[in-house]
This record gives sequence, C-alpha cells and structure tokens, in this order.
Amino acid sequence: MRRVVDALGTRCPVPVGLAARAARRLAPGDEIELLADDPLVAVDLPAWCHDHGHCLVELRRERGAYVGLVRVGATGGRG
Amino acid sequence: MSLDVVAYLDHASGPRLDPRVVEAITTALAWPGSPAGVHEAARAPAEALEEARSAVAALLGADDPDEIILTSGATESRNLAVKGLLHANADLGDGVVATALEHPATLAAAAAAGRIVPADVDGEGRVEAASLTRALSDDDVALVCLHHGQEEIGTRQDVPQLVAAARAARPEARIMLDCAATAGLLPVDVQTLAVDALVVGGPSLGAPPWTGALWVRPGARLHPLIEGGLQEGGKRAGAEAVPAIAGLGTAARIAQSEGAARARRMSALGARLAAGLEPVPGLARTGPADDRVPGHLHVTITGLSGDTLAATLGARGVCVAPGSTCTAVAGRPSPALEAIGTASGRMRGAVLMTLGADTRDEEINAGVDAFVEEVARVRALAPR
Repeated sequence: MRRVVDALGTRCPVPVGLAARAARRLAPGDEIELLADDPLVAVDLPAWCHDHGHCLVELRRERGAYVGLVRVGATGGRG
Repeated sequence: MSLDVVAYLDHASGPRLDPRVVEAITTALAWPGSPAGVHEAARAPAEALEEARSAVAALLGADDPDEIILTSGATESRNLAVKGLLHANADLGDGVVATALEHPATLAAAAAAGRIVPADVDGEGRVEAASLTRALSDDDVALVCLHHGQEEIGTRQDVPQLVAAARAARPEARIMLDCAATAGLLPVDVQTLAVDALVVGGPSLGAPPWTGALWVRPGARLHPLIEGGLQEGGKRAGAEAVPAIAGLGTAARIAQSEGAARARRMSALGARLAAGLEPVPGLARTGPADDRVPGHLHVTITGLSGDTLAATLGARGVCVAPGSTCTAVAGRPSPALEAIGTASGRMRGAVLMTLGADTRDEEINAGVDAFVEEVARVRALAPR
C-alpha cells in the first residue's frame, strides 16, 4: 500500500510530523510518498528515517518540490 | 425557534437542525480538552473528530478519511481549494476558468490568487461545455471551477460532461467541484467524478452553516491557508471546532441513510410551492423547472423589491431570503442573474426559498398564502 502525504506549503517540523502520523497507520513494508516544498525536508526526512528504522527509497525534486519515497520499517510507525 | 415563525423557507442559509445533530453539538460542547491531548479527556473529542471525518468520507465515497479537511464552512473550503491548488500548482499557470455562476467566494479567491478566464452559461444557468473548452485554450489555465448545483438559482449542472470537456482540453489542470448545495441530497461520488477537490457545506447535509469540508485527491497538491500545526493534515492549522465537527459528522451519517428520501420529498414540496406561486402576476421562476437543487425555488417579480418582499414576509413569520443573499447587502445586482440574462426590471425583485428535511406541508401552504397576499399589498402601496 502506498499513501500520498501532501505536506506542500508547510514548514519544518510539520512535513516529517505528517509522515510519522502516516507511518503509524501503515504496516511494515507499506510506502509513504511525501510531497514537500520546505528545503529542510532534504535533511529532516533522511534523519527521521534513520532514527526510526524506515527506508528512504528515494528523494527527488519534481515540479519545484521534494518527493520522498519512504518504506515503513519493521516496527511500523511505532519504531 | 421563535413561536411566530410560521414558515421557515430559508434552509440554505442555515437549516433547522435535526435533534440528533443538536445533541451531538451540545454533548461535545461540554467536553474539556482538545483532540491533540495525550490524556483521557482527549479521547472523546479525538474520536468525534475522526468519526466525523469518516462519515464525510463515506458520504463522498472517499477511500481514506484523511482525504477530508474539516473547515468552518463552504466559503473557507472554496478559498482553501482555489488558493491552495493554485499556489501548489503554480508551474501550471495562474488562469482559473470559471463562470459568473460560481459562488462569490470562489470568484474572489480566484481573482486574489490568479486570473479569471471566463466561461459562459445559457439562459437557465447551465455551463456550456463548448465555452469551457474555448476558455481552456488559454495556455496558463491551472484550475477549473465548477459547481454541481447553483446555490442562488438552483440549476444543476451536467458535471460528467463538463469534467470530460475540461479533461480533454487540458488534462493537467486541476478541477474544483462545488457541491455545497447538493452534497447529502444528491449522489456525490469522488471515485467517479474525476475532480481534484470537492467543496462541502453544512446546510445541504442538515448541519449548521458554520461547518464544512473539503475533499482533496491525494497528489493534487494543495497549500494550506493557515500554517503552523499538524491539524487537518497540515492543511488547516489550529484547534478544531469539535462541537461543530461533531454536528457535521452526525448530519453526514444521517444524510447518507436518509438523503435520497429527503431530496425526493423536498423536490415534491418545492414543486408544490412553485405551483402555488405561479398565479402571482409578474412572477417568473428562475432556472430550469427540472434538474434543480431539491427544495430550491428562486423567483423574480417585476416592479417589486425582493428585499421589501422578504421583509414584509418576515414580519408575518414567513422566512425567505432576498434573491441573492451574498450580494444583497452590497446593494449590487446579482452576477448570476446578470449572467443568465435576467431582464433589468426583474433583477431587484428576486426572492429565494429553500426547503429542508423537515419542511412541513403547512409551511408551504402558509408561505404561498402570505406571498400572494404580500405581493398584492405591496403593489397596492406602490406609487402609480
């Protein structure tokens, strides 16, 4: 399952906070596609994935925004 | 309700509430705390919030309750949709295709955040697909604003045809559909409509006018109007109005099970009201006779002021609205009536009557009798 999380127009720490909320509702192996235009997401998202055991599959720029693809880790969003 | 109200025919501005909706609101008023709390007191407001979100999602056929943003009403939903979609999709352009029949809030938001590219309507208020296609030849159109039922004159649009025309002409443009007059009364399914955002207002569901919602397709890209928190998926920061939301959720649940029957009954009563007013000299019904918003009747009368008639009817306990509630205060002619070519002699004599789920036969009878008598009385007083 993949859930799109639109964090466009919001600033740190909201984008990662929204990703964390989505992860809590998903199962290990599910994916989150995070859309964000706060440049800090390029720092925050990899750090959050590392700290919580999620896999950052991809972080790319598209139409002026970041698109982060996160695979939820083994502990789900509770990690 | 005050005892001297004998016919309440102004449900679009604020419906008479179902007791179940009132109970949901008043119960929630007594709760301390906010849904964001981590203690036991937060449980009831948090559950009410998510139950309401789920009820609105179910009513609209949305896959995921998180696709619903709960708002303070249809006007906020329109502003959020128009400005939020335009800002987040600025690379598509700044053009907004809209007809004069879109709600003033939609047009104001479009003018503030972008550039309106006008499309036309016919004499009964139907959006012309060919005109939509022509407007979409503008290379910078990012957003198309459509409505399901027109709030002022009651015309229902052929939404699938209009969406297909817009998609064919400019597939990447976002489409906002305003269902503030129809959600809860007519089928609205985001799975089949192929739009990007859908506006809901409380009254058509049987909820207070200070409640509403916006459905947004995942990936449509939306900026918030209010920043600074995680509430409503980051798209509407700030503490949630839990009692209002609890009322909206209850109304949405009721509408899902009772909406079709309500609509049939309201349409039948609306037709009876229209037939009762037909003999009034100089009166003309606005918009089509069929394919209307259920329980919605808009009329114009030559040589009379809609404001005056609404006031004299109000003094008899018959509650109606001057023809265009949103422009009456500003003293301007209604853009919607102008757009459908209403004769200038009729423009000031507009009256809007909207029925609700619990409108009674006696209210229709009382409304017709008072209307006929007041038109004759006001005419007799007018200088010749």
